Amino acid sequence: MKWILFLPEIYCLLMAAAFFGLAMLPRTNPRRDYQVAVLLASVGVLISLMSVRLHGTLFFEAYRIDLFSQVFKVMLAMGLFLVICLCTELRGVEERYHPEFYLFLTTCTFAMMMLVSAVELLTIYIALELSSYSLYILVPLRRGPGTDVEAGIKYLMVGASASAVMLFGLSYIFGVTHTTYVAEIMKILPTVITTPAAMIGLLLTLCGFFFKLAVFPFHFWAPDVYQGASNQVTAFIATASKVGAVAILMRMVALTGGASKYLVDVLVVLSIASMTIGNLTAIVQKDMKRLLAYSSISHAGYVLIGILSMSASGYASAIFYAVAYLIMNLCCFLVVVNVAYDGSDLKIAQLAGLHRRSPLLAMTLMLAVFGLAGIPPTIGFTGKFLVFAAAVARGHLVLVIIAMINATISLYYYILVVKAAYLLEPDVEMERLNISMPTKVLAGALVAVMVVIGIYPHHVLEVARAAAKGLMM
Amino acid sequence: MEFANFPYLTAILLSCVIGLLVILFIPEERQMLIKWVSLIASAVTVVISLYLFVAYNKTLGGLQFVEKVLWVKSLGIYYFNAVDGFNLPMLLLTSIVLFTGVLTMWELENRVKEFFALTLLLVAGVFGVFMSMDLFFIFVWYDVSLFPMYPLIAVWGSTRKEYGAMKLTLYLLAGSALILPAILYLFVNSGLNTFDITALMQPGTFTPFQQKFAFLLLYLGFGVLAGVWPFHTWSPVGHVAAPTSVSMIHAGVLMKLGAFGVLRVGIFLCPEGWQYWAQLMAVLATCGIVYGAFVGLAQTDLKYVIGYSSVSHMGIVGLGLATVTVDGLNGAVFQMFAHGVMTALFFSSVGYIYDKTHTKMIPELGGMSKIMPVASGYFIVAALAGIGVPCLASFWAELLVFLASFKVYPVRGALAICALVVSALFMLRVVQRTFYGEKNERFAHLPDVSFGLGLPRMILVAVIVIFGLFPSLMLDVIQTSSIPFIHGLP
Repeated sequence: MKWILFLPEIYCLLMAAAFFGLAMLPRTNPRRDYQVAVLLASVGVLISLMSVRLHGTLFFEAYRIDLFSQVFKVMLAMGLFLVICLCTELRGVEERYHPEFYLFLTTCTFAMMMLVSAVELLTIYIALELSSYSLYILVPLRRGPGTDVEAGIKYLMVGASASAVMLFGLSYIFGVTHTTYVAEIMKILPTVITTPAAMIGLLLTLCGFFFKLAVFPFHFWAPDVYQGASNQVTAFIATASKVGAVAILMRMVALTGGASKYLVDVLVVLSIASMTIGNLTAIVQKDMKRLLAYSSISHAGYVLIGILSMSASGYASAIFYAVAYLIMNLCCFLVVVNVAYDGSDLKIAQLAGLHRRSPLLAMTLMLAVFGLAGIPPTIGFTGKFLVFAAAVARGHLVLVIIAMINATISLYYYILVVKAAYLLEPDVEMERLNISMPTKVLAGALVAVMVVIGIYPHHVLEVARAAAKGLMM
Repeated sequence: MEFANFPYLTAILLSCVIGLLVILFIPEERQMLIKWVSLIASAVTVVISLYLFVAYNKTLGGLQFVEKVLWVKSLGIYYFNAVDGFNLPMLLLTSIVLFTGVLTMWELENRVKEFFALTLLLVAGVFGVFMSMDLFFIFVWYDVSLFPMYPLIAVWGSTRKEYGAMKLTLYLLAGSALILPAILYLFVNSGLNTFDITALMQPGTFTPFQQKFAFLLLYLGFGVLAGVWPFHTWSPVGHVAAPTSVSMIHAGVLMKLGAFGVLRVGIFLCPEGWQYWAQLMAVLATCGIVYGAFVGLAQTDLKYVIGYSSVSHMGIVGLGLATVTVDGLNGAVFQMFAHGVMTALFFSSVGYIYDKTHTKMIPELGGMSKIMPVASGYFIVAALAGIGVPCLASFWAELLVFLASFKVYPVRGALAICALVVSALFMLRVVQRTFYGEKNERFAHLPDVSFGLGLPRMILVAVIVIFGLFPSLMLDVIQTSSIPFIHGLP
């Protein structure tokens, strides 16, 4: 077996083992834990970058390493690194749990790395469960008023139901195709996709991924979990975990080879429902994390537009969108974590006067939310543009018009956030925020990436296209 | 890669972008330096656009000063800038309004850095739309020019500023919600895998149905920004809420983006769609002219008066476009220019009066010409231009449009002319009640406009008069594009 192919995953496992070791130590030291985590995660990014060009199969062909999986692994490693960078003041989690906190972040990343490479149904299922269970533990780790437990239970219950439904669907797919290997299924499924059993099986299977991505009607957990979990965990759920979900959703939809009109119709309906419900509900939110949760529900709808196009450019656009979403959301959470540095929930009204307390954070937030709204010259605009272009090419013009109307609705609540940061003045004068130099560098780098890739998307787009080709095979 | 000897058009964009970046790095307290940087950046745009206007070869016509670089290969996106007879007047207009707008805001003291940075960003977007010949870039610049309006109005504005800013932003972006699908629809259906307008506008690229469908989306999308009735409601509210220079840019330049978008994207790419929907365009434009005039009649707020007169005057642009004739196109583009300068002068004059008196309600003013004769003079010139007095730029524009519309739509043309009489009536009433008659003693001590603050208004008056006396300066340029375009129609 070529172990080198499994390198990013092995490194993640070693990282998890290191944190396990730290958790065993009798005395906790948050500073030390943080430094170790940043160091290990940064090496993880390097390793996943180095392994981008690898390709091959492992574990009796149940596990495929190709550009598609490796690009997503880089995104996951990057997501983990950036989320750990937000943990300088990890006040939302009790100090004695810090090593465990990093441990479960790492195991979740490991599981999602497996998820994007898995090409066998049971492997996919196990990877998905492992990533979910890590998050089920992370959510109630929060120190606080008790909403964490409620959120954790809600997440577990919805997640368990979704995975049960998914397992049921998998059994149908197995029943129809007599195999659990994706490559085999891809050959058989398009020919039988019009049969009710195959269709029901696929739809039920997709439920598990819809849950991860918070697509309607599996979105109920998102606002409560976003609010209940500590800011950093929410950041992880909102970014890296979403990226993993996008990857596997693409893998499963690609199974049909674009042969099912019904599946497209179902995805169109889910996409419209997610966008509309997410956006309309976000308008009334007062809590920043809840707002981001509803916004994530709507963005799941936008990603679906790329996926349901079921073409190479559609998948490439969805990959690009996932990159864009990762960066923009991380920018938002960077601001949330730094403004609510005591680990509390951030109300939108608390952003008042941010432009004077920290002009850099205010600008980061403004660009990030404008990016989420799809305003150029940010990466968010380019992402939407690519997704919509792919959809129009497949004849989904009405869907794109609906999505654009939704983008306009979303602009309303995003502007409320900008308004709070730039126009509102706090009731009592608040001191300037003390932002550390690494955070400033991080914010500057994220803003630069957002704008530069937004203006010149060529290279990222080419990588996404090449990765999407691997998926179509 | 094809580049002209010197990338003048890119230099215009860069002067705005570099000005913006320099301002970002200047400390907030160095207000004077920030203003000078903005002034220099805007002066550079004036110099270059004037040079382009003069150097444009009218005998050759067509696209000149072309800059074309492949941007995203897989999607056929080009960084493609060029000038022709249609966008040259717009570039000149934008640079003049920006320069005078910066001078008008010279006394600003509140959050100076952000104000000028956002203004330069907005104007960079405007320049980008006018000069770009690539659909993707047109859309990108279009959105770039829209979103700075929100903070510019919401922070520095007055009179229900947050409501005005939000309404404006949502309306305009709702418009762009139709534009993007239309652009993608054209891109996909062309089968050429390019966003290059010159390639897409080749005859036979789109079927008549595709043209009709896409034109409608584009007309409605861009029409919102052009203030086409009944999608104009954001416009008077936004004008009133915005600070002086933003009103100038907004009414003077930004509304032209909408009309220009209809021309450059809708009419260029979907000429058959244009001809098909021309009747509808003419009806909506006439409604706008009549409605703007009558609603303007009832206003007591000076800025609302100008806001509704803008709706009426932009209706003239729409009517010109709807005639599908050379005269109509000439008139429409000339009117875009003339109205831009005139409205900038209007808002700049009202801005001065408002800054000093803190009111823009007509009944509270009165006899202002005895208190500030020079400032009043500027407003009166703008009002006369608005009425369409000969020897001022808008006279020629309106004349051309009405000549063309009488030939094509006699009834609608007559209606529009009648509305213009109403508009003249209300403008003269405003002038009479605000600047003549009993003077309000409360304002008797107020100073008249100084030379420095008067300078931007003087420039605007000079432009109105020059192009009023020598309309051929402008018409000769516009014709280089309008005549070949109309003659090339199927």
